[in-house]
Amino acid sequence: MKNFGYVTPKTLEEASGLLAQPGAAAMGGGTDLLGVIKDGLLPSPPKTVVNLKKLPELSGLTEREDGLHVGAAVTLAEISENETVKAKWPALADAARSVATPNLRNTATLGGNLCQDIRCWYYRYPDILGGRINCARKEGHLCSAMMGENRYHSIFGAAKVCETPCTGKCPAHTDISAYMELLRAGKVEEAARVILEVNPMPAITSRVCAHFCMEGCNRNTYDESLNVGAVERYLGDYILEHKDVFMKAPEGENGLKISIIGSGPAGLTAAYYLRQSGYGVTIYEKQPEAGGCLTYAIPPYRLPKNVVRSFISALEAMGVKIVCSCQIGQDKTLDEIVKASDSVMLDTGTWKRPLIGLAGEELTRFGLEFLIDVNNYVRERPGSRVVVVGGGNVAMDVAITAKRLGCPEVAMVCLEQRDSMPANEEEVARALEEGILIHNGWGPKEVVRTDGKVTGMVFKHCPKVLDETGRFNPVYEEDNVMELQADIIMMAIGQKADLDFLEGAYKIETERGRIKALDGCRTTEAGIFAGGDVTTGPATVIKAIASGKEAAISVNQYCGLKELPVEKTARLRLHEKLAAFDTRCRGEKEAVKSPMLEVHERDMDKEDLGCIAPELAKGEANRCFNCGCLAVNPSDTANMLYAMDAKIVTNRRTISSEEFFGIHTRVQEVLEKGEIVKEVIVPYLPKGAVARYDKYRIRKSIDFAVLAVAGYYRLEDGVVKDVSMVLGAVAPVPMKMKEAESYLTGKKLTEETAREAAEIALKDAIPLAMNGYKIDMAKVMVRRFLGF
Amino acid sequence: MKEIVRKVITIHVNGKTYDIPVGTGRYEMPESETLSHTLRDRLGLTGLKIGCDQGACGCCTVIMDGKAVTSCMTLTMDCDGKTITTIEGLADRATGELDGLQQAFLDNCGYQCGFCTPGIIMTAKAFLEEHENPTEEEVREALAGNYCRCGTHYTAVESVMAYVQKRKEERQ
Ligand SMILES: Cc1cc2nc3c(=O)[nH]c(=O)nc-3n(C[C@H](O)[C@H](O)[C@H](O)COP(=O)(O)OP(=O)(O)OC[C@H]3O[C@@H](n4cnc5c(N)ncnc54)[C@H](O)[C@@H]3O)c2cc1C
Ligand code: SF4
Ligand code: SF4
Ligand code: FES
Ligand code: FES
Repeated sequence: MKNFGYVTPKTLEEASGLLAQPGAAAMGGGTDLLGVIKDGLLPSPPKTVVNLKKLPELSGLTEREDGLHVGAAVTLAEISENETVKAKWPALADAARSVATPNLRNTATLGGNLCQDIRCWYYRYPDILGGRINCARKEGHLCSAMMGENRYHSIFGAAKVCETPCTGKCPAHTDISAYMELLRAGKVEEAARVILEVNPMPAITSRVCAHFCMEGCNRNTYDESLNVGAVERYLGDYILEHKDVFMKAPEGENGLKISIIGSGPAGLTAAYYLRQSGYGVTIYEKQPEAGGCLTYAIPPYRLPKNVVRSFISALEAMGVKIVCSCQIGQDKTLDEIVKASDSVMLDTGTWKRPLIGLAGEELTRFGLEFLIDVNNYVRERPGSRVVVVGGGNVAMDVAITAKRLGCPEVAMVCLEQRDSMPANEEEVARALEEGILIHNGWGPKEVVRTDGKVTGMVFKHCPKVLDETGRFNPVYEEDNVMELQADIIMMAIGQKADLDFLEGAYKIETERGRIKALDGCRTTEAGIFAGGDVTTGPATVIKAIASGKEAAISVNQYCGLKELPVEKTARLRLHEKLAAFDTRCRGEKEAVKSPMLEVHERDMDKEDLGCIAPELAKGEANRCFNCGCLAVNPSDTANMLYAMDAKIVTNRRTISSEEFFGIHTRVQEVLEKGEIVKEVIVPYLPKGAVARYDKYRIRKSIDFAVLAVAGYYRLEDGVVKDVSMVLGAVAPVPMKMKEAESYLTGKKLTEETAREAAEIALKDAIPLAMNGYKIDMAKVMVRRFLGF
Repeated sequence: MKEIVRKVITIHVNGKTYDIPVGTGRYEMPESETLSHTLRDRLGLTGLKIGCDQGACGCCTVIMDGKAVTSCMTLTMDCDGKTITTIEGLADRATGELDGLQQAFLDNCGYQCGFCTPGIIMTAKAFLEEHENPTEEEVREALAGNYCRCGTHYTAVESVMAYVQKRKEERQ
């Protein structure tokens, strides 16, 4: 055990002050805390342990008008042996006596029992034996209990204790597990709205995104990632099919004018969120059509243009004005725009060719320009022997497009090895399938010319691309060369931003050829914001979307208005207390596959990848674990105190049972820093009520509850007048069986109503592979609690 | 003149008083030390055993101010001024004669390897001080936190009950 200092404060204020310091932990009897420290469960071991046992406010066990007052430092042995407790709150005495062992109860305190840490065996696995199990409740994100040993885990779903890795990996932090849950419940519209909180164009991202979320998916540990992309596409198309529902014009205008320069994904996103709020939004685009890279760079076989147009027309229907063929700097000046607007956002992208100083470079073609031409319906075969330089997604698009336009020989050359190419794996696979040669580990050396025409290219070997620190710093072997024959060379090794339009008129600072973006997508000029590639360099659509939303929020703050509608929706969305999943998810090993055209069927305009049917999308949503922590609440006294609606008094406030026990799965979420449980007030039971604490465990002592029922009921002439029932060890929090309680109230208590109450109490249970028995057992325990 | 303030805690173990300097120095006791380690490593009282070090096996049980406690889950800092008895303190100090309860374990084959036995005896001892005439059921309940790897639970309970019986006869 790592050493710590041990202090015994004399007053509550002193204790609270000490506990507010970083690295401090409170201690009652220490029977839980010392174990937690020994096993290294905390993110870092405490520096100071603060002894609460000597605080007078925390001692004492007295009966008063409003019930029993139990100090937090009173031991469980005292509670279970106290005559008043035994006479008037016998079920509480039973609950206290059911905890741990007689010897531990001599030192264990009530406060410590309520605030103890959970007892999942993965979580409690000692670090010293083969390393740390970093589950979702620690610094990790995977709950091993989902697919592993789970006989004592939750039957009512998981607690969301960390950001799920799918969400964490998504640049826009899409709440994937939340929309999967809604989709499972058949709530398609609500599911779609979850995506719209961060991304207005899922129909587009689902088609073009690299799906970083899927890399993070916990299912990868066991079988195959959830096919988030396919489900997203179903919802994305659903949104576009119902755009009048999802993309409504604002109810009124707020009178403020926003200009957005550039209509790429960042600009369109900002336009969407700002327009929702009633801003007058005008987008200026230099090309004849809006969409930026969506329209002009990404080839139609990946992103059909009608999808982009459909989204843009929906934006226009919301009232966003789009002025095309208007280049700022030529047709209008930035100054004019800024003067006529309340705020401006720049999303001008990276469209310029970077020159690398290669001999004969002027004879090569800029790959991006080629893609723009093709998207402008210049559908000529560019040559017969094409060499594409570059290994990213743009290079892939260039190579595949060239091939599909009929070039018989297309070769790609890039510095990186096959497994570390910047292009996504699927893109590489697609290129290979279509007969494109990929040469890895070569860098351009020289363009071979004959009579002023390109006839080939010489490459030098590149054994190493990154240096020790992971920075791009390629090493070349100048003498180790390869020559490829070619009649056209396409360069796809990056793009630059064209910043001429800034005209130096404003104090917009640039950095490495990009606009310098401060937090919140601010530029160094107040009121002017920037997002997308022009601030980051060539990135991804979803990153641009994320920055577009960020910019919209900043613009709105700059204009001094209250939160945007999207912020409000996200804030108010109901988060289920416990994350539910489909019990069959464990067995569904294979992900749904979207239909893909055969190689011979593919062309420029037919989309390669198809949609999946709505049932399949829902089926895939069923595979989602809805990742969280499946550990159950460990405290016996918590179950009983919750059932009796006790109040938890701290040094700062009084907390209801419902809030203290029923909502949060970690004490740290209820108690503030420096907040100490002072005492617990247990109200009197209604006169004539029968209270019980029944705990099922395997060994009579030591074992935590496998199941527990706590509660009381009062009958009048056999009819239930009052009833309170809590199930323990079934979920991450003690579960108050509210539905079963209201079913019973007013009914005659018979074998039949007791049976029905048990059925109601367990009807929403979702068993894991090994704990289905808990459901049957809990039903029996509920019936027995009711006397049948 | 320099005055050095020393932190010392005092514990009374098996009839002897020990002043233990607290601090980070070489021979000082860190504040985070558990009683089980203080007794075993500083005072050489290795009768108590550390089995699980998590409060779950009872092998480390000692009696503190009349109550059986789990010494692996107790900070020595919380024992200042307390009176502690370990298994070494049960036998008669003058004659070395075993305590009746210890003798009962010998007479009734109450143990096998003996690892858990000091804990079981200390738990039973504290319990029997407060319960003159317990039933077997009550004894089982009291010993519920003491685990025996060799599976001598039955003979351990038998030993305790034999002692209860003998004590009753002697006192009559
Ligand atoms: C072998 C074993 C078996 C067990 N079996 C059971 C069981 O069956 N049922 C059950 O319910 N429990 C069981 N426990 C847990 C045991 O009940 C708790 O360890 C004990 O009640 C905690 O009390 P404590 O005073 O020792 O807490 P401590 O270990 O001192 O504290 C526990 C936590 O609460 C915090 N804390 C303590 N007091 C306060 C306060 N006043 N205000 C704010 N925070 C506070 C501490 O910082 C710490 O995080 C078992 C433990 C062991 C070791
Ligand atoms: S149940 Fe919770 S504590 Fe246990 S492995 Fe899963 S996330 Fe970790
Ligand atoms: S299983 Fe679901 S919640 Fe878990 S990481 Fe995968 S997509 Fe996200
Ligand atoms: S070592 Fe203390 S209880 Fe196991
Ligand atoms: S006698 Fe061997 S552990 Fe109990």
